[in-house]
Amino acid sequence: MTSLRLDGVAKTYEGFELGPLDLTVADEVLTVLGPSGCGKTTLLSIVAGLVRPDAGTVSLDGRVLDGRPPENRSVGLVFQDGALFPHLTARENVAYAATDRDRVADLAARLEIEDLLDRRPPALSGGERQRVALARTLAADPDALLLDEPLSSLDAPIRRRLRDELHGLFATLDVPVLYVTHDQRAATVLGDRIAVFREGAVEQVAPPDAVLARPETEFVARFTGCENVFEGTVVEGGVRVDGVTFPAESTRPPGTAVTACIRPSCVRLNAPDAALTGTVRRRLNEGDDYRLRVALDGGPDLVARVRPSGTLAPGDTVGVSIAAEDVHLL
Amino acid sequence: MSARHRLFTSRFDWLSATLVLGGLLLLYYLAPLASLFLAAPPGAVAASLTESTVVNAMTTSVLAATLSTLVGTVFGLPLAYWLARADTRWTGVVLAVVVLPLVLPPTVGGVVLLTVVGPNTFLGASAAAVGVPLTRSLAGVVIAQTFVASPFVVVTAKAAFEGVDRTLEHASRSLGKGRMTTLRNVTVPLAAPGILAGVTLAFARAMGEFGATMMLAYYPRTMPVQIWVSFVSLGLDAAYPIAIILVVVSALALIVLHTVASNPWQ
Repeated sequence: MTSLRLDGVAKTYEGFELGPLDLTVADEVLTVLGPSGCGKTTLLSIVAGLVRPDAGTVSLDGRVLDGRPPENRSVGLVFQDGALFPHLTARENVAYAATDRDRVADLAARLEIEDLLDRRPPALSGGERQRVALARTLAADPDALLLDEPLSSLDAPIRRRLRDELHGLFATLDVPVLYVTHDQRAATVLGDRIAVFREGAVEQVAPPDAVLARPETEFVARFTGCENVFEGTVVEGGVRVDGVTFPAESTRPPGTAVTACIRPSCVRLNAPDAALTGTVRRRLNEGDDYRLRVALDGGPDLVARVRPSGTLAPGDTVGVSIAAEDVHLL
Repeated sequence: MSARHRLFTSRFDWLSATLVLGGLLLLYYLAPLASLFLAAPPGAVAASLTESTVVNAMTTSVLAATLSTLVGTVFGLPLAYWLARADTRWTGVVLAVVVLPLVLPPTVGGVVLLTVVGPNTFLGASAAAVGVPLTRSLAGVVIAQTFVASPFVVVTAKAAFEGVDRTLEHASRSLGKGRMTTLRNVTVPLAAPGILAGVTLAFARAMGEFGATMMLAYYPRTMPVQIWVSFVSLGLDAAYPIAIILVVVSALALIVLHTVASNPWQ
């Protein structure tokens, strides 16, 4: 079974510390999600052999990679802007390290770049460049695939389309894939598991659903889009935050101090079972949905994400309902 | 205000004023050149091209400049690459050493070289003993030219190497290609216009080298030395033909810099 293993990998720069990290990527896609500057790119550079770690071991399929130069690792790296060789055509780029000529044709068909093969990189769009870059890396038949925010510089529609295609492509690969991103959508769409990074350390590693529904730290909750994070106390059947009680399932004894996390999309407004009331403070149109800030009567402000069909406006009084299973306690 | 006057004031801006002032300087550059070509009738120049002193000087200059450019390139490119890529504070010191011959007066360069390769030095005497005198010889010319011209290769190629995105080298290596293959297939092709510019500048500088060459090798005479000899012994008129040839060589170097090479001063 192919797998990429990091054991105690650490790297210190001036004012920055990565690790020590222990990670295992099996024949799966592990997305590394974190804010910029959290050490994601350094992590990839260490695995690719471009940066030497201060400590720890990287191994691939049982082979220890430490001390090997990048060219002897069989680790493919796709760069943020593609890093295509500007003096070569797309075809020459893909063929640069191709194991055989059929491989170039295969990958060109698979990544839909057949019509672009005679162009040089400056004549390609951002999305086209990333397709060529991906083909170039795959043509070398790497034993592990690393991607460094390959979609981050693309326009939204192209990013979405390529992201969906990557999802299909990764499913056909039988090598470990390490995909670095600061985009939560890319992380959840593409990752079999997500590793959330913060300041050079792993906060949580879990499948996307688990990371979103059951974040283990406040940082993970906030970084994955859970805007409602409250300090509260466990009470019978719920959690008390300021003057309101949210329903919650907890095995902890009443009186325990906890942090309650409620995703904005789990907050329902003006449903028949509304147990709480509040006043709309602000409404932001985010396209597919509205983000409303609701000041709960006797409680904290709560962010709700609702369909734009509603006519709620600032100043309106609303009923607020939250299901117990949507209140996650830390 | 008449229409004509308005036209004049609208045209007369500060940019034009700077060009007028700068134009005087341009005239100062170009007028003597034009005057040189007028002073030397084409027939006389053509005739002198077959004189043995001129032919010998041309041969020596072209041969020596080619060799010194070659030496400067073979040793200068690796140094330029090291300067561009090494991650140490010593690069500043090394670069200062490379630039030293550029700022040193060429005659001083000649003096410095003579203390190492002069006839009475260990190196000079040993080389002469095995039949390769390092002064008053083609080797002497090459040594003098390399000293003053090779820094152009290093400095210009260094900038060219630095212009190559390191990520591209990383990409090549993570695709399984070693350092040398990466250098050959990615770095050098991308830096080529800058490298060519450095080589061209070095060649042009070597062709024009006079001060250090005079000190090391008065014979065989290069073109600049021959200009001096002709001027001193026969007068200015005798110096014209070779001067014109050197102007043409300089013009050719400029053409190379503005076409296939990437002009480092642009």
